[in-house]
Amino acid sequence: MIGAIWQVTSRQWGMHRLRTVLTILGISLGVAVLFAVRTANLTLLSSLTVTVEKLAGKATLQVVGDEGGFPEEVWETVKDTPGVRVAQPVIEVLANIAFADEGRLLIVGVDMLGDRELREYQFDEEGSEIADPLVALAQPDSILVSRVFADKYRLADGDRLPLYTSQGRKEFIVRGIFQPTGIGEIFDGQIAVMDVFNAQYVFNRGRNIDRIDLMNEPEVDVEELANRIRARIPAGIDVTPPTARGQGIEKAVSAMRIGMLIASFIALLVGVFIIFNTFSIAVNQRWKEIGILRAIGVERRNIQIMFLAEALVMGMVGSIIGIGLGFLLAVGAERLMSEVAAQIFSYVATQQPPVFRADYALTSFAIGTITSLIGAWLPSRAATRLDPVLALHNVETRQREAVLGPGRLVLGIILILIGLLCVAFAPLRVSLDYQFAYPLLMIAGLILILPKLAELVAILLRPVMDRLFGTEGVLAVESMIQSPRRTTATVGALMIGLSFVFSTTSYVRSYQQTVEQWMERFINSDLIVSTSEMARSRTYHFSEELGRRIAAIPGVKRVENVRFLFVPYADDSIAVVAFEMDGWFARVSNPLDVGDIDEARRLLIEGGGVLVSRNLTTRHNLAIGDRITLQTPTRPFSFPIVGIIDDYTSEKGAVFFDRRLYREYWNDSAVDMIDVNLEESVRASPGGVAAARDRVRQALRGEHRAFVYTNTEYRKWVLDLIDGFFVINHMQTVVAVIIAALGIVNTLIISVTERRRELGVLRAVGGLRRQIGRMVLLEAAVMAVVGVISGTLAGMMNTLFLVRTAASMVGGFTIPFHFAPGMVLLALPLTILISLLAAWWPARKAVNLNVVEAIGYE
Amino acid sequence: MIELIDVSRSYGGARPVAALGAVSLRIGAGERVAVMGPSGSGKSTLLNLICGLDQPTTGSILIEQVDIASLDDDARTRLRRERIGMIFQTFNLLPTLTAVENVALPLRLKGMNRRRAESRAAAMLEKVGLGDRADHRPDQLSGGERQRMAIARALIFEPPLLLADEPTGNLDSRTGDEILDLLDHLHAELNTTILLVTHNEDAVRFCQRLIRLRDGQVVSDSLIGGDGE
Repeated sequence: MIGAIWQVTSRQWGMHRLRTVLTILGISLGVAVLFAVRTANLTLLSSLTVTVEKLAGKATLQVVGDEGGFPEEVWETVKDTPGVRVAQPVIEVLANIAFADEGRLLIVGVDMLGDRELREYQFDEEGSEIADPLVALAQPDSILVSRVFADKYRLADGDRLPLYTSQGRKEFIVRGIFQPTGIGEIFDGQIAVMDVFNAQYVFNRGRNIDRIDLMNEPEVDVEELANRIRARIPAGIDVTPPTARGQGIEKAVSAMRIGMLIASFIALLVGVFIIFNTFSIAVNQRWKEIGILRAIGVERRNIQIMFLAEALVMGMVGSIIGIGLGFLLAVGAERLMSEVAAQIFSYVATQQPPVFRADYALTSFAIGTITSLIGAWLPSRAATRLDPVLALHNVETRQREAVLGPGRLVLGIILILIGLLCVAFAPLRVSLDYQFAYPLLMIAGLILILPKLAELVAILLRPVMDRLFGTEGVLAVESMIQSPRRTTATVGALMIGLSFVFSTTSYVRSYQQTVEQWMERFINSDLIVSTSEMARSRTYHFSEELGRRIAAIPGVKRVENVRFLFVPYADDSIAVVAFEMDGWFARVSNPLDVGDIDEARRLLIEGGGVLVSRNLTTRHNLAIGDRITLQTPTRPFSFPIVGIIDDYTSEKGAVFFDRRLYREYWNDSAVDMIDVNLEESVRASPGGVAAARDRVRQALRGEHRAFVYTNTEYRKWVLDLIDGFFVINHMQTVVAVIIAALGIVNTLIISVTERRRELGVLRAVGGLRRQIGRMVLLEAAVMAVVGVISGTLAGMMNTLFLVRTAASMVGGFTIPFHFAPGMVLLALPLTILISLLAAWWPARKAVNLNVVEAIGYE
Repeated sequence: MIELIDVSRSYGGARPVAALGAVSLRIGAGERVAVMGPSGSGKSTLLNLICGLDQPTTGSILIEQVDIASLDDDARTRLRRERIGMIFQTFNLLPTLTAVENVALPLRLKGMNRRRAESRAAAMLEKVGLGDRADHRPDQLSGGERQRMAIARALIFEPPLLLADEPTGNLDSRTGDEILDLLDHLHAELNTTILLVTHNEDAVRFCQRLIRLRDGQVVSDSLIGGDGE
């Protein structure tokens, strides 16, 4: 029987090719995004790991500290630990070259005398004047570059390579070019090697190094050796196998993956709507076929199986196409993610081909197929309830679509209320996975009440449409009310897509607004000089000498050096911001949110306490008087909390203390930012601050890669940076918009096909072609309006979840709710436009309908 | 009222099939004409051509002295809306609209506001005996009631011409008779010209003239007397 039913059913899809293609595409897109995100993430992990492993060479263990590195004495200790065969110090800096494009170059500082035991350098002997390039590195201006880099900048042995260093612009001489294998493959060949002690100097590491790569004696167990080394070095320094480091880096960039995964689930949710709509229409259109099948002995159950089997096949085909498409997408997504990893986190990836994982493919396949079955479930059930007698008598069996019963309305409202209450009151201890249920509850509630909402909006719109478009306008609105299922499918898809766009944008805006207020309060030096266009660099820093140079510029009253880094704390990391406390207290009028201001000022300036951000206290349950203990490269740092401030430096929390303490405990004099305060006369004169900025820029031009901003510019720049940090969110927005647009196109095309008979009747009883066309277009426009309104409601609820629950979970802070009406006003005409474009072809189809065929039954 | 001059209609491309071949007919105002013939004889094609839903391959069709081939689509549609009422075997009602909304539809398509259109529709429903069913949707009504609703919609403009395609085809004989009685009553009241395509011999009795079609040709055209054809 199944074979016979299949013969009937497969022809249907063949006859409605466009509908079939659009439906399959709906599933494919969701699966593609899901598969692409997972594959891209895996490829990124592999690219990051390859970098770590290639850099590690034959090293079996790595000794790593926090971002500030650790004193080189540790190297002596490690080297002398029994069981260590080779131990080599390493410094890694992602620097910029002083050519016009200021391209990035990963500089690895190694000890050339011993490093060849760990790493293989295949030198390009052709044309090389130097017999052993490693010996050449004894000269302090030597640098070795990869063949790829040399070719890109047309460098040959003996050529000069200018670099921006912490000591300013320095010219190095290329004294060796290594082939693009092994270490030469890293970061796609944008790599150079120099002497570690030279790197220490030019990149202002003082007597610190970043890492020690070591190899064990063959007879010594690696784990045992790691423990042995740990026992001999300060607690703030860790010993790990190189592979573990790759995973640590992956963790740092994992936020990107979560964002993209959410986008893919949104895509799949819209896919459910598309399938639901397609199958509802198929059931409505095939009532006669169902009647005949029932009459010749097909049981209700088999009718349902027939439709579910169709959904299964479509889901499977869509999933397979989605996996293929996703694999292609993964290449682009991985490039974007590795660019973000390099720009924001200074982690370099070595491009790897995308990895095809069968288990990811199978999961995506299963999710796509199940999504399709879920979407087809209700329509397939409806098919079993069709009256075969009526169908066989050529009598219109289509019932008016079920209107929203009070039960559903109440359930919808209850779900929304539960979601809202959870957002308002649920404790943060609940894991984020469960917290994601809150927006889902709210969205589910909204979907349930959507038909009623659409009806309400339509009733309100009716007089407007009547006035603007006459009868067609009113008929368009009524047609929407009279088909709640069709309306819900189209508007629901639109609502989900738009809610995502609105909430993401609102969250970014809310966050920016909060940061703006915070900056207004705390960032008030006249000029700010920074090392990187990304606020800070993990590996590249200024020296204190630069601060002294700036201080000598006419009009500058005082400069303050700021160090900003992340250090390990309680199985995570937190931001450490070390600056000159006396200057800060002098400038900030209301520095503390909790704590005794006089006592705090005294202790902070003396170096007897720390200030912490409020989110740190929330995340780690801390209060005034508690001690913050950090492991440093020298000895444990343990100071009481003397003040708490509302601060948004990092979602992980931040500790602030005097720079002298930092220098003492971390043995590090690096500077990430310089706050410049100008003379009163300069500040008071019109254009004085900008002129002073230009003087500082002039003084540093060609010498330092420094970013000099006035206070206003800096704040704007930080806000722009926040926008940049949310690049992945913007990508999600793009995906959501595409999905929403696809949803509209799909449902409108399908809905015109569904309404063929209805439109035919309208034409038969006197509807003009243009009236029919306008009706289809106007209905699409009205649906867009309802979509924007429901999307706004859903978006507000999502935003509430993001600024309260998600921000608390991720960053320990809540952000004041800010929902920009301008965004909705912008979205409204755009959505109407997209809807009209999507409806254009269906409208044409409706206009050119063959009436005789449309109202005939056979 | 209606004049067909050598009207033919063929379908298909390379090997066309003639659905109607060189038919000439004249039907006067107020006449009640039955069209009979086996399946595929061209009955429905004839109706579709007269109401302007379809276009003849050759020949011309005059409705109230106007050649409908000379009209553009909009003009034909307006003619169909206001001068020709149509009822079908399968009713062709919009399932999502109530009786009064279905009947008011042609008025609203003409641009009349909802309240006025529905008030006129309610009066027409009253006329066809469905006054108490105005707020019911098609699926809540019996077959006979649905056809009454379709008749009310067809006559909402009180058109001079009513085309009926097997109006009793989906109804039992008693209900079918009721529909014919209704048409009889409305004809008496409005003097509408009625062209009735049917297989139903009983329905023929309701008419004054019978045209028989076979293979797209008129094979007989006669008046129906008190003793038959």
